Amino acid sequence: MREITFVEAAREGLTEEMARDPSVFVVGEGIGSRGGNFNTTVGLYDLYGPERLRDTPISERGFTTLCTGAAVTGARPVVDFMFIDFLTDAFGDMFNQMAKLQWMSNGRIKMPIVLRGCVGVFGSNAAHHSGNYFPFFLHIPGFHLVMPTTPADAKGLLKTAIRSDNPVLFLEHKGLLNVKGPVPEGEHLVPFGQAAVRREGKDVTVVGIAFMVIKALEAAGQLAQEGISVEVIDPRTLAPLDIDTILASVHKTGRLLVVDEDYAPCGVAAEIATQVMEQAFDDLDAPIQRLNGAFAPAPYSPVLAESVLPGTKQILQAVRDLLAE
Amino acid sequence: MAFEVVMPRLGWNMETGSLFEWLKQDGDRVEAGEILFTVESDKAIQEVEALESGILRIPPDTPPPGKPVPVGTLLAYLVTPGEELPFVAQAETAPAQKQTAATPSPTRAVPVTVPHMSERKRPAVSPRAARVASELGVDWTPLKGSGRTGRIVERDVRQAAAVTPATEETLPSGVRVSPVARRVAHELGVNLEQLAAQMPGKRIERADVEAAARKVVSAAPSAPRMPAPAATGDVVLPITQIRRITAERMVASAHNAASATLTTEADATELVRLRNQLTSDITQLVPSYSDLLTKLVAQALIEHPQVNARFMGESIVQSATVNIGIAVDTERGLLVPVVYDVQTKSLRQIAQESAAMIERARSGRLSPDDLHGGTFTITNLGMYEIDTFTPIINLPECAILGVGRIMPKQVVVDVEAERVAVRHMMFLSLTFDHRLVDGAPAAHFLQTIKHLIECPWRVLV
Amino acid sequence: MTDQLEMGLSREQLLALYRQMLVIRRCEEQLVKLYAAGKIYGGCHTYIGEEAVATGVCAHLRQDDVVFSTHRSHGHALAKGIPPHELIAELLGRVTGCSGGRGGSMHLFKPEIGFMGSSGIVGPSILLAAGGGYSSKLLKLARVSVAFFGDGAVNNGAFHEGINMATSWDLPVLFVCENNLYATEVPFDQVTKNPSVASRAQVYGLPGVEVDGNDVVAVYRAAGEAVRRARSGGGPTLLECKTYRTRTHAEGMRDAGYRTAEEIAAWKTRCPIKQLETRLSEGGAATRADLDQIEAEVKALVEEATTFALNSPLPDPSTVTDHVYSPM
Repeated sequence: MREITFVEAAREGLTEEMARDPSVFVVGEGIGSRGGNFNTTVGLYDLYGPERLRDTPISERGFTTLCTGAAVTGARPVVDFMFIDFLTDAFGDMFNQMAKLQWMSNGRIKMPIVLRGCVGVFGSNAAHHSGNYFPFFLHIPGFHLVMPTTPADAKGLLKTAIRSDNPVLFLEHKGLLNVKGPVPEGEHLVPFGQAAVRREGKDVTVVGIAFMVIKALEAAGQLAQEGISVEVIDPRTLAPLDIDTILASVHKTGRLLVVDEDYAPCGVAAEIATQVMEQAFDDLDAPIQRLNGAFAPAPYSPVLAESVLPGTKQILQAVRDLLAE
Repeated sequence: MAFEVVMPRLGWNMETGSLFEWLKQDGDRVEAGEILFTVESDKAIQEVEALESGILRIPPDTPPPGKPVPVGTLLAYLVTPGEELPFVAQAETAPAQKQTAATPSPTRAVPVTVPHMSERKRPAVSPRAARVASELGVDWTPLKGSGRTGRIVERDVRQAAAVTPATEETLPSGVRVSPVARRVAHELGVNLEQLAAQMPGKRIERADVEAAARKVVSAAPSAPRMPAPAATGDVVLPITQIRRITAERMVASAHNAASATLTTEADATELVRLRNQLTSDITQLVPSYSDLLTKLVAQALIEHPQVNARFMGESIVQSATVNIGIAVDTERGLLVPVVYDVQTKSLRQIAQESAAMIERARSGRLSPDDLHGGTFTITNLGMYEIDTFTPIINLPECAILGVGRIMPKQVVVDVEAERVAVRHMMFLSLTFDHRLVDGAPAAHFLQTIKHLIECPWRVLV
Repeated sequence: MTDQLEMGLSREQLLALYRQMLVIRRCEEQLVKLYAAGKIYGGCHTYIGEEAVATGVCAHLRQDDVVFSTHRSHGHALAKGIPPHELIAELLGRVTGCSGGRGGSMHLFKPEIGFMGSSGIVGPSILLAAGGGYSSKLLKLARVSVAFFGDGAVNNGAFHEGINMATSWDLPVLFVCENNLYATEVPFDQVTKNPSVASRAQVYGLPGVEVDGNDVVAVYRAAGEAVRRARSGGGPTLLECKTYRTRTHAEGMRDAGYRTAEEIAAWKTRCPIKQLETRLSEGGAATRADLDQIEAEVKALVEEATTFALNSPLPDPSTVTDHVYSPM
């Protein structure tokens, strides 16, 4: 199978969906003739022009809520927000309008809107361009949230997101954008709510979020040489979350580590840990461990930036500690 | 139709209010919009306008000023001229409808008080370990946890059950095994899945397991799957049942018992003399040194009952009988047949029994009963010129006596006179479980054995 | 008869406008009574005094045109076509309400007739309506999108961002500002230097029109022009209707301290319904009997709606988590 980058795969998905449905349009800063800061829309402006590839002024609240209005009146907008740090301006209307209108109207209003853009601490982008913020969208009823880690999943999940009638956050970790991988041609849809077991193992379960899946796999490879068998799970979609795959793994191994570069309090690791504790208490041979990012904004100097993130070394130690428990 | 004037809701949280003052009188003509009365709520005095036009009719039983009433309480009527006063009919007060919608209340988690670690009487155990323990019929409470904080975890339970994770496959569904049968199967190395296949549908009980074990022990060692040969020159052997059981039991002992070994050197000259006397009677079976020691050790155990003990659940049981296992090295491996009720038997009986058991052990005809129920073990490596060693406790026993060779040596027999003599000396190594008995009592016990060896006639008194 | 022709509307049109305003007025009065009787929960922001704006604008709208409203939305809802019984039932929290009892006064929905919701948050209606305009243009529908908002919204970022985008992209939107001089209790002239909302339009580059919001014919005319402009691809319009609410911001709240009784009384003399009534009877377009008949019909309509609402069942709590998501 041909191998393409994460960005190319997502773009392929978007291109296919725009060809398939003329009501799909993209909105964002620089996504028109420039092709997007992260090359998300290269080539599409020439095909479809400004109405479907709309360059916006710097008004994230404005254009996100405008797209909310477009979504409820028959169109299918894709908001390309670039960095999730920018999208925070729109949170008010996202929580009160985008998330709630389906429910408030008793299901008579649909909200087919996708918000896609980059997250994560990477490349010394510092405090205003390194955010994750995604737990907000796991907490408020009404959002779906996906975080692909492979190019194939980037394509498949974006296509599913665009076809969904719900608001979907499609979050792309900056560290994954240039990762290459096999991507099926043509119609390739990945359903929400299905985790992937990236590596099978029997001694300990490690759930990784976004880029942390890569780190977890690195650690697992090293631990295998020490005779430790690690099972690595990639949830792929956080809302809806496939807890069953994680539970089956914990039933097998008895020990769970969740690695997430976002902050610990009320994060997805805390949520997964609680669900596993609730539903698989008697399968646990040790307390569940979390590895999160340091509780501080993202720093600039590379030595600092590295220090706030869970790295392969920390994962190795965490797994060894977990087995000693 | 009469319009009802009610206590209004003046504020989102207002539940009650009291009429402060009527600004119109009963019988007055009122126009919609005119101020009709004032209300005192917790905030202030507020004016209330008439919402309809009409003649004001205030019933005699209307709430008086100053009395707090619920929002919606009827205060008066505005009627059209000529309309009948609706005082006779009991005015339907429209109390504020408290819509107690039966929304499903969220379930409240029951708070669990966790005893502080230091108050813990039992060791911490992981939920998984507790589950596996109950599945395997293992009592986890005496186990030592290998978790970092001392927690008992799954691997501890599995080791205690003397089954390695590799062999511990959950039985196929439908196979029923009694907890005792499980335990005995593990002790005797009987494969439950194979046994279940031979008797489908039956609940496997102890007798089934023991019958299977007799077949196993008496048959030639079955050759399990041979792994592929390694490098040329290497000798590759299958792991026999006995090897497997021995390995598991040794590990379990090392893992669970708090073993310590005491040594002492006993003057066995009198014992040697005694045996020589016994040897001279050729009509009888000559008791071995092991037999002699068995008799002497049994006496010591009677005198030191805390060494003749084992854990049982939340208690320690001091056995009424002394059953001594004698370690026998056979072609197939180590077996420890047990002589029961040593305290009731004569030396001759002991010698006869032990000889018979050793014979059966060497020819593979021991029964499971022969191997079971010991309260103490004696192991003798003197024939290999060994002096002291660190024997491994045969769980669930409390201690094991290792016996070294009897060596003639020059020893001091009178310090004052600086006199030496050649005596037959013998080292004794006692490994004991410090969980059950402490160093001093164990040492005292060993000393008793030493004295009995040095003065064997004491066993007669 | 010449008076009507001067006003540019036929007798039927004028009576329709009158009737619509009266429906709003009588519904609101009924809701005031129900609120006072403790049968309405939460907030209830009445439209009494402003009826001409909703009436004049919505008279031009087709069923598929979309409206996004703010917290003071009863008038817009009724004028767009939500029947009184669905409005009253909604405020009584019944399952027969236009939002199934889920929304109450500030969260009215009837997307089937283009009423895309009222919002308890001030501002978003401007942006949502701009979005409605965007999709109309994208999907090549001759559909107009209307935002109703008050003076309180014009200083929110939503106003700036929404009107800027709608103008930049020539979207078919009508931005209707109901300037009733107070945002809750804060006078407009205390939070902005320029008292004219319509004059802001010049900065963005779209037409800005100011009308007397209590003159339903003036509103009707200005709205008609804006709707025609939008529908023909001429882009958005900002319409400032100067009006006044003669009741408190929300039922149960005080009405004194931030405005005077004299001011309220003065505006009551400019009641939009009375003004039209006077012009109709003076111009001979309608007799007393005509008007009384309309009054009687409206009264019956509202009574029937109230009875319906009072007899309607409550929503089933087991449905409360339905429709958080559409099916995948």
